[in-house]
Amino acid sequence: MKRVVLGSLIGAALGAASAQKVETPIAIGIAVAQTSNVALFGQEQVAGAKLAEKLINARGGIGGTPIRLVYQDAGGDENGAINAFQNLITKERVVGIVGPTLSQQAFAADPIAERAKIPVLGPSNTAKGIPQIGNYIARVSAPVTVIAPAALKQALKIDPKIKRVAVMYAQNDAFSVSETGIFQDTIKAQGLTVATVQKSQTTDTDFTTQVTAVLNAKVDLVVISALAADGGNIIKQLRQLGYKGLIVGGNGFNTTNLFAVCQKDCDGLLVAQAYSPLQSSATNQVFVKEYRALYKKDPPQFAAQAYAGVQVFADALRVIDRKKKLAQWDLGDLRTELNKQILAGKYNTPLGELRFDKEGEVNQKEFFVAQVKMKDAKNGSFVFVK
Amino acid sequence: MDFGAFIQNLLNGLAIGSVYAIFALGYTLVFSILGIINFAQGAVFTLGAYFTYTLVVGQFGGTGLLAGLTLFSGTSPFSGNPWSFGLATLIGAVLAGVVAVIVERLAFRPMRSRGADPLLALVSSLGVSLVIVNLIQLLVGAEIYTFPADAYGQVRPALSFQIGDRTVVIRTVQIIIFAVSLVMLLILGYVIGRTKVGKALRAVAENPGTASLLGISVDRFVLITFFLSGFLGGLAGTLVGTAFGVAGPYFGITYGLKGLAVIVLGGLGSIPGAVLGGLVIGLAEAFVPADYSAYKDAVAFALLFVILLVRPQGLLGKAAIQKV
Repeated sequence: MKRVVLGSLIGAALGAASAQKVETPIAIGIAVAQTSNVALFGQEQVAGAKLAEKLINARGGIGGTPIRLVYQDAGGDENGAINAFQNLITKERVVGIVGPTLSQQAFAADPIAERAKIPVLGPSNTAKGIPQIGNYIARVSAPVTVIAPAALKQALKIDPKIKRVAVMYAQNDAFSVSETGIFQDTIKAQGLTVATVQKSQTTDTDFTTQVTAVLNAKVDLVVISALAADGGNIIKQLRQLGYKGLIVGGNGFNTTNLFAVCQKDCDGLLVAQAYSPLQSSATNQVFVKEYRALYKKDPPQFAAQAYAGVQVFADALRVIDRKKKLAQWDLGDLRTELNKQILAGKYNTPLGELRFDKEGEVNQKEFFVAQVKMKDAKNGSFVFVK
Repeated sequence: MDFGAFIQNLLNGLAIGSVYAIFALGYTLVFSILGIINFAQGAVFTLGAYFTYTLVVGQFGGTGLLAGLTLFSGTSPFSGNPWSFGLATLIGAVLAGVVAVIVERLAFRPMRSRGADPLLALVSSLGVSLVIVNLIQLLVGAEIYTFPADAYGQVRPALSFQIGDRTVVIRTVQIIIFAVSLVMLLILGYVIGRTKVGKALRAVAENPGTASLLGISVDRFVLITFFLSGFLGGLAGTLVGTAFGVAGPYFGITYGLKGLAVIVLGGLGSIPGAVLGGLVIGLAEAFVPADYSAYKDAVAFALLFVILLVRPQGLLGKAAIQKV
């Protein structure tokens, strides 16, 4: 009986929004990691989202109605993401959510949005199965199945003699586990040998045991799926303990914050990317110019993806607003309509042209492989390699 | 395992184990005087690393409230050679010691003066620890801070030597960690064992009431204990930070838990026990087969569990005598 009452209360709290009018400015939730060891990514996402808000409102918002981004720290774990989603849904009454940062968090928090019928755009959730969580869940981050193999193929292009490969991954992170599976399948498909598989945790700092095992395996290539903090440390320790071959990093390495961790040792790292500042579309070039003006550096992938997430919401809302002014909608109805419109539209974002399939999976046209070039101990860049 | 691999693991284990040892010594000192665990030690560890980092880099970065603030006009005088880096490390550890003293005044003394249950002091120290961690985040953000590669001069990142057909490689920073830890342990051993301060500390640890009757200011020596504890914790934080980067405000939490395992394993309140416990856990982690190394954190606690089953008082602890 208690359960039924509690369930009804939660349902009422989540569903209460359906009877409310939409408030202006239009609130869009940003539930990314502003704290924890994932903050490296989350802070870039906040930077991208803030720029999107600034530019969208400078251009008149949604048919004259400004947008307002509501930030909730999702931290680096599942509980943080769940709390952030619940706050955005029940307290802030947002029309949709960009977040969370990690796939692992998405698997826990997205079902909450799904039950409340609130559209979610994952800005960096690249693991398998994210859009399949529910009808209201989509992502602007291309899945790892598409991106990961590109970097590996590039490594073989640079050094065709590669035969033996070491695989390292963070076993407590759903994304890294998913990504390493794709990497390992690709390695085997390319006729290479997985000489050793070394696991670690995202919270680890000392990787000497794993690195020693990799060195013992006498490999020609190391492929790492980890987050920037632990991944950067792995690279540093690999290089300092004498590994000289190529290193391929997964999506977790797609942040300039990595450079501060492995410093000069980051040099030469290959990373496949869903975004490049060099992408030539007019939308991207405006984004790059504004980002540089605001943050004094090139936009990283996580910032571009968060920007794209906010932009997709804004573009879809604009279409709806033309049919009926947003302020006249019931919040619940608007969320449902917004979800439909997201899936129906086509978007020119800094990531290039994006569309979604009926499940919410992103369809992105261009991908890039970059190699890290360090200018000095602190400053480096992802240099696009063809 | 061949001999070369054995030596490699031994060196890796000694380096990290020596940090565990000096960190755990801080816990042990406080426990031996007050009979309580100071849970803020992990936060003090983190602070030590941040203090040294800030002195060496000379400015606050990241996204916290202090971002953009610079300490020196031009390059930091604490960077670029081993001596200036050592001085920054020393100041960082002293500042961590000062924070530990403040923690004692805020979290422990009020409880002690009211004769509160030691459990309350433990909870209070947990609270202070969380406040410190959140303050760090507010002030300097959540980013990772990595010491500049040339912070202590142009040092070769790794040294190698040959054993049979195997090249054994050790990171220079591991050797530094081991050497500094060893020197600290010797100094501390001398201070506790041979000096007046050490004798007074031991007297307070043995029986605060009697020590007080002998004219020893118990409160003063409690403060000295906390300072030493914070100093050791802060120093350990800098050493680990130098090796791996300062991984955000939560950096010390794992070390805090592991330090706890070390002192229980070595024997609560036993200084040689803390050293032995640190080295045992460091070595046990290093010798975890590489394929299972992701589980090495569990090794510390599994080892603790097994040893406590066989020897409940820890490796070098004394069994409690029941007075009837």
